[in-house]
Amino acid sequence: MADEFIADDIDRAIVEQLRYNGRATNQQIADRLDLTAATVSARIRRMEDENKLRVVAVSDFSAHGYNVLMEVAIEVDGRAASEVAKELAEFPEVFAAHLVTGRYDIDMLVALHDFDELTDLMLNKFSKVRGIRSMSPAIAVDVVKYKFDVAPIEARGAA
Amino acid sequence: MSAPLIDDLDRQLIGILSNDARVSNRKIAADLGVTEGTVRGRIKRLQQDRLIAFTAITSFGLENSTKMAFIGVLAEVEKVREIAQQIASLTSVNGVMITMGRFNILAICLFNELDALHTVASEQILAIPGVHHVETSIAVKTVKYNARVVRITEADHIIETDD
Repeated sequence: MADEFIADDIDRAIVEQLRYNGRATNQQIADRLDLTAATVSARIRRMEDENKLRVVAVSDFSAHGYNVLMEVAIEVDGRAASEVAKELAEFPEVFAAHLVTGRYDIDMLVALHDFDELTDLMLNKFSKVRGIRSMSPAIAVDVVKYKFDVAPIEARGAA
Repeated sequence: MSAPLIDDLDRQLIGILSNDARVSNRKIAADLGVTEGTVRGRIKRLQQDRLIAFTAITSFGLENSTKMAFIGVLAEVEKVREIAQQIASLTSVNGVMITMGRFNILAICLFNELDALHTVASEQILAIPGVHHVETSIAVKTVKYNARVVRITEADHIIETDD
C-alpha cells in the first residue's frame, strides 16, 4: 500500500471516454485525446490492475426480469446492524444493502421477478433473521434513473 | 409483466461482457463457439433494445472518498414525475425512483464532502417547486452492492459502430 495509485488528468480523460463508450477501441480514444493507442492501452491496464477501473457491460433491470424493485429501511434491535445486514445480503433478492445514519439502521434494495416472490422472502427468509425490529418498504413504481459509475471494485477473479 | 427478452446465449454474452467489456468479439466468439458475426449482431441488438450499455466504473478510491446518501423526498403527487425528472438531471444524483411508501421519490446521491450533500438535498432538491420535505441518510458502510445492473436510459443509448 506504499504507493497509492493517483489518477492524473490523462487517466481521467480516458475514463471519461470509456464512460461514454466502454467499447471504444484504444485507437479511437487515442485519436480523440491526442495520445497513442499504446499509451491508452497501458493506462487502462494500469488502472484495472490497481482495481481502480472496470470497463464493463451494465445491463438493465429488465434484462434480468426484475419487475419489482423496492427500498426497505430496517430498524435493528438487540443485535449489531452490521451482522443483520451481512445476513440479509446473503439473500439473492437483496440487491444492495448499506448501513446508514438516521432513523433507520439498514437501507436495502430488494429486486424481485414477481410480487409472488415476496411471500417466501418475508415469511421464510427475512423472518428468520434475528435482530430486525421493523421493516419499512417503499415500492418503486418507476425507476427514472439508476446508474452508478462509481462503485466499490472487487479484485478480478473474486467476482 | 414483460416476457423474457433474452436467451441463454445473450445471458452468456452479458456474463462475459459484464466482467470485461473490452474483450474482442473474436475471443467471445471462440469462447462461446459461435461466429464473430453472431456476437456482433447480438451485442448490437442488446444495445438497441437498451438491455446493455458499455461503460466505465471507477472505484470509490479513484474519486477521492466518494460516499453515498439516500434522500427521501415528499413531493406533490400530481407533479411527482416531473419533479423526479428534475432530480434525475442533477449530476451527483445517480438513482431516482418514484415510490409508494414513506416518501414518493427516493434519490440516491454520491458525494465527496458533506457540504456537497447539503447543497443537493437542501438547496437543489428542496428548492424544486412542489417538494415539501427531504430526509437524508448517509451510508456509512456498504455491505452489498451491484453496479452492473442499472436502468439504461436514452443518454446511455450508444450503438457500437461497425469498424
